Amino acid sequence: MSMEGLEYALPEVKRGIFVRLLRYMLPYRGKVILSVSILLMATAADVFQPILIKIFIDGYLIPRHFPEQELMWLGGGYMALVVFTAGLNVVQLLLFQMLALDIIQRLRVELFDKVQKLALAFFDRTPVGVLVSRITNDTQAILDMFMTVLSTFIQNITVLVGILIAMFALDARLAIYCMFLIPVIIGIMILYRKVTSPIFHLSRQRLSQLNAKLNESLQGMSIIQAMRQEPRLRKEFGEINEAYRRVRFRNTQLNALLLRPLMDGVYLFTLALILGYFGLYSFSHMVNIGVLYAFVAYLSRFFEPVNNMLQRLNFFQQAMVSAERVFQIMDNTDAAPTQEGYANPEIKEGRVTFEDVSFSYDGRTDVLQHISFTAMPGQTVAIVGHTGSGKSSMINLLMRFYPMDRGRITIDGMDLRLFSESELRRKVGLVLQDPFLFVGDITSNIRLGNDFISSEQVVEAAQFVQADEFVRNLPGGYHAPIGERGATLSTGQRQLLSFARTMAINPIILVLDEATASVDTETEEAIQRTLQKMRYGRTTIAIAHRLSTIQDADLILVLHHGEIVEQGTHQQLLAQEGLYHKMYLLQQGGSTEINRA
Amino acid sequence: MRVFFDLMWFFQEHKKRYLGGIVLLIVVDLIALLPPYVVGIIVNELTHHTLTRSRLAYGLLVILASALISYAIRYLWRILLYGGSIQLATDLRTRLYHHFSLMSPQFYHQQRIGDLMAHSTNDVQAVQETAGDGVLTLVDSITTGTVVIATMASTISWELTLISLSPMPLMAFAVSRYGRILHKRFHLAQAAFSDINDRIQEYISGIRVVRAFGQEAWERKNFVELSRDVVDKNVAVARIDSLFDPTIFVIVGFSYFLSIAFGAVFVIHGHLNIGQLTSFTLYLGELIWPMLAFGFLFNIVERGGASYERIQQLLHIVSEVQDRPHALHIVPSGDITYHIHAFRYPNSERAALKNIDLRIKQGQTIGIVGRTGSGKTTFMRTLLREFDVQDGDIAIGGHSIYDVTLNSLRQSLAYAPQDDFLFSASVAENIAFVRPDTAMETIERVAHMASMDGDIESFPEGYQTLIGERGATLSGGQKQRISIARALLQDAEILLLDDTLSAVDARTETNILAELRQNRAGRTTLIATHRLRTIEHADWIIVLEEGAIVEQGTHDSLWALGGRYADMYRRQQLESLVEQGGGRG
Repeated sequence: MSMEGLEYALPEVKRGIFVRLLRYMLPYRGKVILSVSILLMATAADVFQPILIKIFIDGYLIPRHFPEQELMWLGGGYMALVVFTAGLNVVQLLLFQMLALDIIQRLRVELFDKVQKLALAFFDRTPVGVLVSRITNDTQAILDMFMTVLSTFIQNITVLVGILIAMFALDARLAIYCMFLIPVIIGIMILYRKVTSPIFHLSRQRLSQLNAKLNESLQGMSIIQAMRQEPRLRKEFGEINEAYRRVRFRNTQLNALLLRPLMDGVYLFTLALILGYFGLYSFSHMVNIGVLYAFVAYLSRFFEPVNNMLQRLNFFQQAMVSAERVFQIMDNTDAAPTQEGYANPEIKEGRVTFEDVSFSYDGRTDVLQHISFTAMPGQTVAIVGHTGSGKSSMINLLMRFYPMDRGRITIDGMDLRLFSESELRRKVGLVLQDPFLFVGDITSNIRLGNDFISSEQVVEAAQFVQADEFVRNLPGGYHAPIGERGATLSTGQRQLLSFARTMAINPIILVLDEATASVDTETEEAIQRTLQKMRYGRTTIAIAHRLSTIQDADLILVLHHGEIVEQGTHQQLLAQEGLYHKMYLLQQGGSTEINRA
Repeated sequence: MRVFFDLMWFFQEHKKRYLGGIVLLIVVDLIALLPPYVVGIIVNELTHHTLTRSRLAYGLLVILASALISYAIRYLWRILLYGGSIQLATDLRTRLYHHFSLMSPQFYHQQRIGDLMAHSTNDVQAVQETAGDGVLTLVDSITTGTVVIATMASTISWELTLISLSPMPLMAFAVSRYGRILHKRFHLAQAAFSDINDRIQEYISGIRVVRAFGQEAWERKNFVELSRDVVDKNVAVARIDSLFDPTIFVIVGFSYFLSIAFGAVFVIHGHLNIGQLTSFTLYLGELIWPMLAFGFLFNIVERGGASYERIQQLLHIVSEVQDRPHALHIVPSGDITYHIHAFRYPNSERAALKNIDLRIKQGQTIGIVGRTGSGKTTFMRTLLREFDVQDGDIAIGGHSIYDVTLNSLRQSLAYAPQDDFLFSASVAENIAFVRPDTAMETIERVAHMASMDGDIESFPEGYQTLIGERGATLSGGQKQRISIARALLQDAEILLLDDTLSAVDARTETNILAELRQNRAGRTTLIATHRLRTIEHADWIIVLEEGAIVEQGTHDSLWALGGRYADMYRRQQLESLVEQGGGRG
């Protein structure tokens, strides 16, 4: 008997995926061959053990012939073989696991590299949890396949072949009779698959219904309770639950009918046949008892590999589903824009020009239309407009987060597309609306991975943005630990740290996405003072929500539905008495004049 | 193994099934002893040339008969034991669902839905395996082990049995030692896996920072290091893991050696014949499985026990909102009076509502305005008893809402919440959520009241159009209007709209409000909103700030007051101007 009840079901194998997975073994060809050879040796040694016993029974025990020396050799040889087999098996098992881990490591890194190259739009569409699960859980499921499924199959098929060879060596005629077992076993597997396939699908369907119902109920529980529908939903859930139970039960019935019990039946039937064969033969010939012993022993071992392989099939199934998901990401063509050409221009002055830029995320509605302006070195250009007017899209383009659609953006007269990634990232500093902090400490959050920034420069940057004081007051100062998303710090402090992070790379061009989060007035003033300082001597493109902060801007662009509807300095725009004027009055707290409008 | 005691209630409930299954399992294990025994006899008679045709036929018949009988019995016990474990899983899911349906929002605030789902799927699965494979393995390995050993000892030779089993303690020692080390290393490996999970989670959440600062190479380095660490920790696990089976097989091989060697001596001295020796080694082969099974059993039971514990913990959480003893089955009706000195959310220091003293007359429409977080939703949730007020009371028609049952209270309230959650069902089913057998005309009538009838008719399958993941995607405004229609269908005395018109355009909103006024005459309506224009015509408006009422009155009186309300009103007029392009053109 063996691990009887593990419910297994035969999968629908998608061949392309399996072959593609196997290709990950190619770089490890040498190791694969080594592991497989050791596995084969171990299996051969394993199969050889009963033969030694057979030699002993036939050659010595039955003729009652016991030469001490030879028997010592035989016994010693047997034990040595046992230990040797075990040793090989340890090595083989370890090699396969290490190999699998290496392959998965490679797959994970490859997947990570792919994710790094994906366009931001992909991240906007894909929930974080889903993506994390692809990189870790799904690769883990594939790991199981390389670790156990492959070696189980190789090993068990080898054992089967080994047993068959041994049987042939012992008595070819009987072995040929035993070969009839193979089509019988395959026939049972095909029958099983045919019968259970619809049940298996139904079962998966019921399970996903069950999960969907549960998930939805949990999400909408407050509504269910407010509308007093608990009894009804309990009943509905009960029905789905019962339907799932029934299909599972049906599955169990089929497994019980066709799998292990049937295999055991087939085994006993074959045993009876072999005994019958030897028995009948003995009436006319001499029977070799050792051969009979070995045959019976082999037969009892013949069914183990078959059952082992059946058991692994659902791991295999899960791995295929996961691999499909992983490959979906690998095959994603939505790549982030990268450098074009090899010119490697440098950013020296920081003149930023938008030339008739239009942009659409979905290819249908334009979020930006014909945007043109120039920010001269050291100037501040402010972009204002209501939510959804296209402000963030302009920054997404300037940061080269999204590929250019129509028109072009130049820096110092060179097309944005020509700059190398490192040049762009070091010279153009972005301050984000949501100051995202990483787990680590203050220093690591300011420096990030830029090793060229010294500890002194970190402190300088913090001093520059007036974060030094609060940092020094933290327990641990610049090495004060920061938890997930910087939860221990206030919004204002997080904001200042993100400023410091930008100032540490000392960019030529500053891109500000002004925070909308409300902070207390005092912090707000500190932030504004810091921003003034940061902008000094740098070309600045700023999205502003508070008009009061950009009154000194050299150019203010008023966006409305993706178009620049007004532009000029603060005074010019006020004089126009257009949209900007109204927004300004609005932020000043309104006036009776507007009230009449 | 404690989990078997914890699950005793279930085994007792299904006594017959389990007893039957276990008895059958033991019987089949006994029958399994027959074939090797028969093989032994036949081999013996072959060597001594005493085999006759009838003896052979008789022997073969016994083997075939035992094959058939054990096939039937194996089928039966599987149905009994696995059927039982499937039933257990079904029962546990039902219990969990029932429990979930009793829990207040506080529970959902503390638990994540992903976790709750995991309890109902993975943990239930692990318990199911314990009740199925676990019980089977336990019974089977013990019976097979004892029966085989007993047979070897009694029918062949107890001396040889003892000799051949003598290496077993060594195996027990080795396996338990491996187990301890493995447990520790596995723990480390899991922790490393957790680390990489957290890291990726963070990386993806902060992807914009990573991109903006060109940190890709650094992130890659971190990732490679962490994933390397995962590999290293797992290799440490593998080093122990790969020792398990080979060790068992060395011991088994040693047992074989001992039994053949000593068996040969026994044969020479005539204590044993060759057939018996053959049977003996066959029996020994039968012992491999119970040995391997024990390791397997520990694995299943350990996981099942942990999972069952988690499920129990969840089931032991008591809802904070419950019917009080002696609560009346009266559907409350009449004026609503709030007397809240202070209300705090559980585990919160800050009062979400304070000093609320208010009487809402039956039939009035009340507007509740204020900034995000000012307490508008809390105002409604306390009335719905999603949370209980500790310091104060709310009454409807003179009955404290705590003196009536939750069921009665909720009959007099219809609620359209802020997060307009719809179910993946047809539009009609969603609207008729509260009474699934509602006539189509009624559904259409409330859809019309919510100005949703036109939209629904334009859907491909009208009222039968499916909503949700696999159905039509609705706009925010459409969802809100369906949620309003759903609340209207309840036909309750008190209607609560919690910012449920925010995504509806101005003209539609006016229509809906007009319909409400017309159809809900004499009944009370509470509308919380950011948009003051929505409640301009309300009978009474309260302005909340930090959980307290700072202004109240009619629109005109508040406007005349020139305070916060007037301020907000002015700003909103301006905002709408700006959004429309500031009166350009």
